[in-house]
Amino acid sequence: MRAYFAAALLCLGSGLPAAPPAPSGSNNESDPPGYPPVVAGRPLQFPADHGAHPDYRTEWWYVTGWVTDEDGVERGFQVTFFRVRTRIGEDNPSRFAPRQLILAHAAVADPAEGRLLHAERGERALDPLAGAATGHTRAWIGEWALEWSQDHYRASVDADSFAYDLRFDPAGPPLPNGQDGFSQKAPDPRHASYYYSRPQLGVSGTLRVRGKTHRVTGHAWLDHEWSSAYLPEKARGWDWIGINLADGGALMAFRMRTATGEATWTAGTLRRGNEPARALAPAQVTFIPGRRWRSPRTGTEYPVEWQLDIDGRRLQLQPLMDDQELDSRRTTGAVYWEGAVRLVENGREIGRGYLEMTGYGERLRM
Amino acid sequence: MNAGLRHVFLASLARRRLATALSLLAIALGVALGLAVQLIHGAALDEFGRGMRLVAGEADLQVMGPRTGFDDALYVLLAQRPEVADASPILEVEASLPQRDDSLRVFGVDALRVRRVQPALMPVPEAEVAGEFGIFAADGVFLSPAAQAALGPGTGGTLAVLAGPREEHLRILGSVPGAGRGQRLAVMDIAAAQRLFDQVGRVTRIDLRLAQGVDRAAAIERLRPLLPPGVELLAPEAAASQVAGLSRAYRVNLTMLAAIALLTGGFLVFSTQLLSVVRRRQELALLRALGLDRRTLLRGLLAEGALLGFVGGLVGVALGYALSALAFSIVGADLGAGYFEGVEPGLRFEPLATAVYLVLGVAAGVAGAWLPAREASRVAPARALRASDDVEVLRARPRGPAALASLGLALLLCLLPPLGGIPVFGYAAIALILAGSVLVLPAVVRLAMRALDGGRFVLLRLAHARLAAAPGQVVVAGAGVVASVALAAAMAIMVSSFRTSVDDWLSDVLPADLYLRASSSGASAFLTPEVIAQVAATPGVSSVQPVRFDTLRLDEAQFPVTLIARPVAEGAPVPLVEGDAASVRGADGLPPAWVSEAMADLFRLAVGDTLSLPFGGAPHRFRVAGVWRDYARQHGAVLVELADYRALTNDSRSNNVAIRVAPGVQAETVAAALQAQFVGRNFELAAPGEIRATTLAVFDRTFLVTYLMEAVAILIGLFGVSTSFAALATARRKEFGMLRHLGLTRRDIGRLLALEGALGAAVGVAVGLAAGGAVALVLVEVVNRQSFHWSMDIRLPLAALAAFAVTLVLLAAVAARLSGYQAMRQSAVLAVREDW
Amino acid sequence: MLELDGLAKRFDGQAGRALFSHVSLRLAPGECVAIMGESGVGKSTLLNCIAGLEAVDAGSIRLDGTELVALDDDAFARLRRRSYGFVFQAFHLLPHLTLAQNVALPLWLLDCAAAEAQQRATAMLAQVGLGDRADDWPRHLSGGEMQRVAIARALVHRPTLVLADEPTGNLDAERAADVLELLLGSIRSAGAIGILVTHSRAAAARTDRVLRLTATGLAEEAVAA
Repeated sequence: MRAYFAAALLCLGSGLPAAPPAPSGSNNESDPPGYPPVVAGRPLQFPADHGAHPDYRTEWWYVTGWVTDEDGVERGFQVTFFRVRTRIGEDNPSRFAPRQLILAHAAVADPAEGRLLHAERGERALDPLAGAATGHTRAWIGEWALEWSQDHYRASVDADSFAYDLRFDPAGPPLPNGQDGFSQKAPDPRHASYYYSRPQLGVSGTLRVRGKTHRVTGHAWLDHEWSSAYLPEKARGWDWIGINLADGGALMAFRMRTATGEATWTAGTLRRGNEPARALAPAQVTFIPGRRWRSPRTGTEYPVEWQLDIDGRRLQLQPLMDDQELDSRRTTGAVYWEGAVRLVENGREIGRGYLEMTGYGERLRM
Repeated sequence: MNAGLRHVFLASLARRRLATALSLLAIALGVALGLAVQLIHGAALDEFGRGMRLVAGEADLQVMGPRTGFDDALYVLLAQRPEVADASPILEVEASLPQRDDSLRVFGVDALRVRRVQPALMPVPEAEVAGEFGIFAADGVFLSPAAQAALGPGTGGTLAVLAGPREEHLRILGSVPGAGRGQRLAVMDIAAAQRLFDQVGRVTRIDLRLAQGVDRAAAIERLRPLLPPGVELLAPEAAASQVAGLSRAYRVNLTMLAAIALLTGGFLVFSTQLLSVVRRRQELALLRALGLDRRTLLRGLLAEGALLGFVGGLVGVALGYALSALAFSIVGADLGAGYFEGVEPGLRFEPLATAVYLVLGVAAGVAGAWLPAREASRVAPARALRASDDVEVLRARPRGPAALASLGLALLLCLLPPLGGIPVFGYAAIALILAGSVLVLPAVVRLAMRALDGGRFVLLRLAHARLAAAPGQVVVAGAGVVASVALAAAMAIMVSSFRTSVDDWLSDVLPADLYLRASSSGASAFLTPEVIAQVAATPGVSSVQPVRFDTLRLDEAQFPVTLIARPVAEGAPVPLVEGDAASVRGADGLPPAWVSEAMADLFRLAVGDTLSLPFGGAPHRFRVAGVWRDYARQHGAVLVELADYRALTNDSRSNNVAIRVAPGVQAETVAAALQAQFVGRNFELAAPGEIRATTLAVFDRTFLVTYLMEAVAILIGLFGVSTSFAALATARRKEFGMLRHLGLTRRDIGRLLALEGALGAAVGVAVGLAAGGAVALVLVEVVNRQSFHWSMDIRLPLAALAAFAVTLVLLAAVAARLSGYQAMRQSAVLAVREDW
Repeated sequence: MLELDGLAKRFDGQAGRALFSHVSLRLAPGECVAIMGESGVGKSTLLNCIAGLEAVDAGSIRLDGTELVALDDDAFARLRRRSYGFVFQAFHLLPHLTLAQNVALPLWLLDCAAAEAQQRATAMLAQVGLGDRADDWPRHLSGGEMQRVAIARALVHRPTLVLADEPTGNLDAERAADVLELLLGSIRSAGAIGILVTHSRAAAARTDRVLRLTATGLAEEAVAA
């Protein structure tokens, strides 16, 4: 569910808050010309589908997780690599032809900081400087990279205020979302993506914050999603969670939201323990906002606590810290909340993961 | 000094209003011209430097190559180096604009990288028109505010550019707000620019930000081995200073002319102060008798000069700013010389320059007042109180040794080399020649009067006697004339020599009947071999000679030189000053190259030397076969055989083609045929006549400012004649009254004055012409040679100089007579009786 | 008290022809004398020597006991400023100064404040009968009036010594008498010493003593009116 950042990056550099939606940006009711449509009934095929799908418009690999260092300090982290096909210069022999853009975003949530540390990069795909490989997972911009080798993923990120080099070992096979990986985003099935998750990744590696490098371990979640027509016209933003459940299971849920806060679509995937995963229908997923927090920087209000009615169970979301807003107005213009959360049921923590809330400031440009 | 006493001195200025006003104006003009030159070039340089910094942004190092660029694989290589934190590739193209003379600098950038290294070049899309991937659009362009203002269409419009033989229409998707007001440029995606301008695989520059902890010297040492020949790693400051150096000589030249105008102003102050002292002899003697000591008297008289200088300076400063504003709006920041194209500087208040020129104004006033003041303070009051004649002061001591010394020293200074590219000693020699010519004036007057017997005409005898007895009068009236005539004559000779040489040179370099050109050299348009073939096949064309231009970086300390590749041995003649054009490969088998005088000077090359030229990323050795005269490229040019160039580079494009018409065919017929053939293509077809006319028009525009300064100098010189005669006539009222008693008519007195004026001016003009010839020689052989590295043939515009001299003598006669008119009007009786 | 003792002057310094020698004179405050003599005998030169405008070749000049011959140019200039007043045959008024400003000139040289100088000059002009023309210009005056202004200028700073060189030479007889009366009266009432160089016997007769300058000295002369 990471297209927001990609969208914001494309308006790069204006230094201004993102402008009101452009008329041309909202004609997504039909498939954008020249991109292959996302259709139901195309089963995911691994390992090919771990790699990039350069024909599709947007694609991302998104890893979030909780780690604990040698002193028992808990932190959240996330890294995302996007690929965007621009359909510009596809016949241009120049090595600089901007056919594919690669964008990356990384953050660390450290309660001692009180707010997110984050950094981002963007490049046109230009081997060997930046790219996204097909056939296996490998996306990179300079020395920032997310890569599959043999039996594990490895992510390395080096920014001014933080850095990490983490290894992720999957606990099981990929978990397709929706109907065998066809994930609908609106009542109209044209707004959909191919989407699978890899929950319960075992994390080990190093994390540097405030000049100090820690050995860390923990659990992470990887999403890989690609699409050509994503955000429905009426949608202003979305709320998304990806939670590693304490019992070894996984919960993914999202809702698309209008400007007035009504849900236009909700869906999810739930795997309890080692049971088979179940796709959750819209009726089985309800997001109810709870306590709100107002950002001192942007003045935007976010519901940082939630009540979730999932498949008849009533769950609560509690943030690692309130201020996990990502304010990159000075560089990409994007403002959203993305942070580590605990999932609580009846006062007991039953899982940990990430919550993403977009579109609370202004509408996205997709 | 007591306030009342100050009044005694300063009120004297108010009394001689005309003389005061003219001195003031002279100083004001000198200050104004100097300050204007400073302001205009300061602003242009600032803006240019800003442009360089802007383009360099936060880069620590810049990788630069020839104008046609270098392989962009180097970028990929450098971007991966651990020393490099960020690398930003740039393809800079001087894009020709259809139906316009000027071109537009287009920067092909990687928008995602440029913001980290050169944030000022960041394109900002207008959401309404740009769409989501606007900054990458293949047909999109972003204009700086200055470009938008200059070119008309705003965001949402289209911009037509010439790319090779094609005209392409680009959508204006937004702006480059960081470029600031003065920079006329456009930004587009680098891939789009590469393709549009047929430069795929090439960049012209890579800007590098170094990784933390990597120092520049170490980075240069480690990265330099990766660079192909002809590509250099420069600190951005070095690039900026190369550009500043380019126009420095021209700037210094203009500043020197302004200084000479100011000097002439100083002479005028000298004249008026000396005359005022003569006229106030009794008054000053009275003050001495009443107990004023010498030092106070000296100070009072110097204060008069200082006040003149200060007020003149203030007026000059105001005038200077007005002139600059006018120049910015009319001729442009380079005063028409073409050094700063694409830069639109704004006028700013420059406190330092303003203060310096104000001080110079005061200094000119004080310096002009110095000698008269010293003279006055030395006069014995008892005698001055009694004697009312002025002859004694105007006797003018001969200063032969001083005159000879300064002229001799001037000769020696001409032999010295320039300092830092500036012909400092040449300018010093010019100042010494001027000083020497003023010093030699009394002796010349004496000689002239000895030669000129009074004859039978009473008026001539009277004038002769007067000038022989008081050669100082000629010195006073003539000092300004000498300086201004010398300056004007020198400039006239220099400009005439230059223009004639340029004209001859143009005939040498434009021997063909027609020229077809893609655009001005260096811009984005070019001719393909197919076009050349089409031209050659046109009926009536007997032969074609394609020409290719590029720039080469030979040395990181020097500005890139221009490469010209064309047929030489079988082609048009080369305006050689040394060597020959026969393109024979020597025993060593090296291909020949012909270097321009500037290049020979700058790179210390002589015929027979070997020269390494980087073509297509590899060094190639050439043998210097000749040195040729080039007025077009001050930083140097090298000419090679087109065949050699093509063999070494595989570059078959050309920028223009010289066309010879078959015997018996009219050039116009062929021109019409070509025009019909290439209708709708953006080729310019020019006959040599037009090119020559355009070139000479540019030449004349360049010297426009020079002409203006000459006019001012001459005006100041005439002021000198006029004020000195006005003052002298007043002082000589008794003499004239007496002559009237003796039977001279008023008209006779007028004639006497005119005669004296003409005689004095004739001597001044003669000395001035001689000095001007000497100054011209220094300008041509020393100043121009050292500043611009070009030679020229001396050409005396005799008729113009003669007409100028006669006019000036006549004007001086008229000025003398008009100025003395007041004295002649008075009743003879009153004049004799009254004491003052 | 002005004391001249054995003054001698040659043309062009020591080498030249002797102009005069053995000139001795003693004058008390309030005393006015006339010096007569043939043209070219050096009357004006003697005045210039007393004023320090020309150097003497021998002898001494003492004013109130101070030896003046040894003074350098600047010191003499300062002394003139303070203690001398001058009246010239040609008046020598500055054309670009008003009458009051002309009269105030010696006060300005003494660094007197502008307002005070103006006031004293105006008062002095009133004494010479031109009190209502303080702001007028010299070019509007007759010769006699100009010389009155010059007399006012000579006395405005209360000098010890007033030197007058042919003060009536440019005036007709009637004006000359008036101007002379004013000059001598003013000098006497100011208690100054007056030395008058003149060709006019009538003028000389109005002084206290008449002295004749010859090449060999000053001789007292009986006044034949």
